Amino acid sequence: MKFTIYQDSRQGGRSNNEDRISYCYSRDALLMVVADGMGGHHYGEIASQIAVQTLADNFQRQARPSLSDPFHFLHEGMLNAHSAILDFALRHRLPDTPRTTCVACIVQDSIAYWAHAGDSRLYLLRDGKVLARTRDHSRIRILLDEGLISEAMAATHPDRNKIYSCLGSPNAPEIEFSRKTPLEQGDVVLLCTDGLWGEIPPDTLAQRLRDGNVLDGVPRLLGEAEATGGPQGDNLSVIAVCWEDSYGSPSDADGSVSTQTLEIGEIETHIEEFGRDGGPRKDLSEEEIEQAIAEIRSTIDKFNPRKPGQ
Amino acid sequence: MAQQANHALPSGFQLEEYSIERQLSLGGFSIVYLAIDPAGTRVAIKEYLPNSLALRGEGEIKPCIPEEHQGAFLYGMKCFFEEGRALARLSHPNVIRVVNFFRANDTVYMVMEYERGRTLQEFIAKHPGTVSERFMRGVFARLLNGLREVHSHKLLHLDLKPSNIYLRQDNTPVLIDFGAARQTLSTDQPILKPMYTPGFASPEHYGSRKDLGPWSDIYSIGASMYACMAGAAPQAANERYEKDVLVPAMKRWEGKYSDRLLEIVDWCLNLNHYYRPQSVFALQKALVEAVEEPEQKSAGWLGRIVGKFAKAQ
Repeated sequence: MKFTIYQDSRQGGRSNNEDRISYCYSRDALLMVVADGMGGHHYGEIASQIAVQTLADNFQRQARPSLSDPFHFLHEGMLNAHSAILDFALRHRLPDTPRTTCVACIVQDSIAYWAHAGDSRLYLLRDGKVLARTRDHSRIRILLDEGLISEAMAATHPDRNKIYSCLGSPNAPEIEFSRKTPLEQGDVVLLCTDGLWGEIPPDTLAQRLRDGNVLDGVPRLLGEAEATGGPQGDNLSVIAVCWEDSYGSPSDADGSVSTQTLEIGEIETHIEEFGRDGGPRKDLSEEEIEQAIAEIRSTIDKFNPRKPGQ
Repeated sequence: MAQQANHALPSGFQLEEYSIERQLSLGGFSIVYLAIDPAGTRVAIKEYLPNSLALRGEGEIKPCIPEEHQGAFLYGMKCFFEEGRALARLSHPNVIRVVNFFRANDTVYMVMEYERGRTLQEFIAKHPGTVSERFMRGVFARLLNGLREVHSHKLLHLDLKPSNIYLRQDNTPVLIDFGAARQTLSTDQPILKPMYTPGFASPEHYGSRKDLGPWSDIYSIGASMYACMAGAAPQAANERYEKDVLVPAMKRWEGKYSDRLLEIVDWCLNLNHYYRPQSVFALQKALVEAVEEPEQKSAGWLGRIVGKFAKAQ
C-alpha cells in the first residue's frame, strides 16, 4: 500500500476540543476514524475518545495484516464503541450518556469501505470532483432530500445540528455503510467533522485538493475554515489520505507512506492527541512580542474574564 | 561555571499596576512574587528571568542580557508565552488561573491568582510518613480533573511534583508552575535545558524526549503519591534504569494503604511507559473503581429474568 496521509484537529473558538481522530495501518490495511463528541451532552470528548480508541484497538487486534471482512469490522467496531460509551455512563452513574458521531473508513487492496453514524462526513474526491460522500444523519438532510428546503436555508436552519443517529445514545445507532469502492491513484479520501464541512463546501474541497497534495492543501483549508469560523467557530478535524497505489506505475510523492517495509504483524497507530510542531522558529521581533502579549490578554479576557469589582 | 542568582525586585516596587510585596520563589527560569493589585487583592506574579541568560544585579531593575544570549533569551520568552497562552485557555478550579500578562523591564510578566495555602511538598514535610489514604484520594482525584483539562488542551505539564501541587486551605489542589509545559516537544535548546526534577521526572524526560506523553505526567503523579507515603521522593528514573532499588509501594506499605491504591502507585511508576495508565482518564477510572463496592454482576440480568418468570406465573 502506498499513500500520503494528513490529520489535524483544531479547537476553533471553543473552550475545549471534543473531536478525536486517529488512523492506523498495517502492511495491507488502513483505518481512519473521525469522531465528534457532542456538546450539550456531558463528556462529549470522552465519547469520541472511546469511539476512536475502540476502533483503533480492534484494528490492532484484527488486521493481521488484513481484515477478513472490512464491513463487518466497521460494524462491530462501532457497536463496541457504542456499548463502551454506555458502560462508561453506567459505571459513572451519569444522568445522561455522552454521545459522539463517528465516521470510519478502511482501505484494503485499494478498495475503500466506510461507515458512519451522525453528521461527520467522508468525501471521496477524484479529479477535482466529489465522487462519493456520506449522507448526514440529520433532520436537515431529510428536509433537503425531500426538497422541502434549499441548501441556503439549510445553512442557517435552527435544526442544522440535530442528528438522529450517533454512538452513545440510549437508542441503538443507525450505522450506514458505503459500497465497496475501488480507489484509483490520486484519489483523496477525506473524513471531517462539521467544523470543516460547515465552512467549506464539498466542491471547493474537491477543487482545492485536485492535485492530491494533502500535506499542503489540507492545513491551508483548515486554516481558512478556522478563520471563517471565527471566535465562535466549532472544533474542526480532518484526516485526508491521497491514495498512491495504482494498477499502473507507482508514484513517488514526498512524505508518502509505504507499508511494504512493515512486518506482517506490525501496526502503526496515530491518535491525534498532542501536537508536535517543528523546532524553534526564528527570533521574535518586537511586533511578535506585542502580538503574543495581546493574544494572551485577549485569551484571558475570553476564558477567564475578571469578575467585576476585582 | 557557577551561576549567579538573580536579584529579585525590591519589596514595595511598583510594577505597572501591582505593588510587589515579597519574593515567593526563585527558579532557574523565573522569579515569582507576591504582589497586590489596585483592588487590594493578592496576586502571584511570575517574572521571566532565566538565570543563565539574563542577570539582574543588586539594586537594578532591568536585567542585563549579553548580546550572545539575546537569541536564546527570546526563544525562552517564546516558551514563556506558550505557558501563558496555554494557561490563559484553561479555566479549571484545579489549575492555576492567569489573570494578566504584560511586558516591562525588558522582560515579560504573568499575573496569576494567589490563594493562601501551602504546597503538597510542605504538607508532606509536616506529616512525614503519616499522610492518610483518604487525604491522598481526595487530593489526587481532584488534581487529576485538573490534569485532564490540561491534557485535553494538548498540553503536558512535564514538571509535576509535590512542590508544584498547591493546596488551598480546604486542601483542594491547584496545579501550578507550568514552566516546563510544552505543546511542542521538539528540540532541546543547548542553553535552555529542559527542566525536570529527579525522582518525579519520568524516564522519557531523559534522553531524546520523543516519547513524552500523558503517561509521562502520569509517572510524576505516581511518584508524587509515592512521596506522600514515603515522605521523600522515590529513586530517580534514570538511576532506576541502572539499578532499580525502588521498593514497590505494594511491598513497602502493604496493609497500611488499600491494595488498590498501592497497585495504582506501582502501575504509574512502571519504567516502561506502555505499561502505565495511558491517559489520566484511565487512571481516574482506576481510582474511582477502587472505592466502588464489588459488583453483584450476574444477579442483575439473571435476577431480572427470574423476576420476569415470577411475574408471568
